[in-house]
Amino acid sequence: MIGKLFLTLATLALLHAAYSTYEHLSLLKALGKPEGSLPLDIVYESVLALILGLLGASLNAPPLKDITWASEMKKRTIDGMDSRLGFAQYKSRGKLLFANPHGDKE
Amino acid sequence: MSLQSALEQLAAHRIKNTRASQDVFRNGLLVLQKKGLKKLGDDGKSFHYTCQNVTHKLLRLPAGWTFLEQLTLASIDVGRLDIADQCLQLIADKFPNSPRVDCLTGIRIEATESPETALKYYAEILEADSANAGIWKRRISVLRRTGKVEKAVNELVQFLDTFYTDVEGWLELADIYASCNQYEHSLQALTHVLLLTPQNPFYMLQAAETAYTAEDFPLAIKMFLTVVDMTDGDDSEQLLQESTPLGITVRAWFGVKLCARRIAQNTNMKSPSNTSLPKKVELLDELATERLRVAYSSSGQKGEIAKGRQEVFAWVAAPLA
Repeated sequence: MIGKLFLTLATLALLHAAYSTYEHLSLLKALGKPEGSLPLDIVYESVLALILGLLGASLNAPPLKDITWASEMKKRTIDGMDSRLGFAQYKSRGKLLFANPHGDKE
Repeated sequence: MSLQSALEQLAAHRIKNTRASQDVFRNGLLVLQKKGLKKLGDDGKSFHYTCQNVTHKLLRLPAGWTFLEQLTLASIDVGRLDIADQCLQLIADKFPNSPRVDCLTGIRIEATESPETALKYYAEILEADSANAGIWKRRISVLRRTGKVEKAVNELVQFLDTFYTDVEGWLELADIYASCNQYEHSLQALTHVLLLTPQNPFYMLQAAETAYTAEDFPLAIKMFLTVVDMTDGDDSEQLLQESTPLGITVRAWFGVKLCARRIAQNTNMKSPSNTSLPKKVELLDELATERLRVAYSSSGQKGEIAKGRQEVFAWVAAPLA
């Protein structure tokens, strides 16, 4: 929640800083002045957007998973490991067991 | 049950390779219907038409095609060949010359036609491309199903000579040998599986149990202890507390106890694989007893007692020799 909020704020701040830069440069061009350095508040805004974005991305990350094989194997079952789906036999009693008793499809 | 949870369950089945056809069919049908209802509107269109609409929307998802394949196989398993045909038609339209689609078509033929028809279909494809692994596997499966086990084994051995790294194939070979009670050959096939997947405790457990059935008790006890090591080994922060064995670790401890009993009954047994006997069988037996008692005394949910606890306690309390 907070992570997404930070990310949104950071994106908005960055877009705002970019637009301010564009306006500033077009103002300079209109006035005929040479291009100097960016005004300091736009720089601060961009750095703030960077920090907020970092925080937001870190908080927004999905929950961490274990890296050991043992922890992954704890989640598996014998049926999954032994299924051999390439050789599985599809002619089974499923057709009779799971068919609708009245024979209509759906 | 929502669309999201259905899709998650389907993805989980794909990752874990389980063959839960009823569950997949139920979830898959829900996915089809939910997506179809969005397009359905007020006039009641037929199910066939909704399926068409659905899949057009669905197939923009990257997992859309694997989902259709999964649903096809599950429908064939459950017996709903109408849905299987629809999904298969969509996949075949999109991917006309694909070997995977050939496999699916072959499975569809296997489900209704006679085995000879299926074998003829596979023979045609294998003539055109003799290294088509999927089709070769299906052929071996049909041979096994119709009882031509020796032919199936020969073909499977040839297949494994060509595709050595196919773990499924080695497992199938081990299963065929075990079903014919040739446990030493089964164990040999399983050693290849262990070479290919050394980190997998399930295959080590299968090998241990096969070794036990083949009466190679020193090898079996070593393998059971390796399984315990693999599954329970790295609880470094729980050294001071009791850690309860769970899952296949319990099965492995049962195996250790069984092997320890057999070894104690016959202290100078020869192992067919020349494995050395463990030096302190009594201590291993005590350890296995204690671990099984812990496994069956830990209270589960709501403090209820583990099922079968009395029987297990009585069995482990029996003397060794």
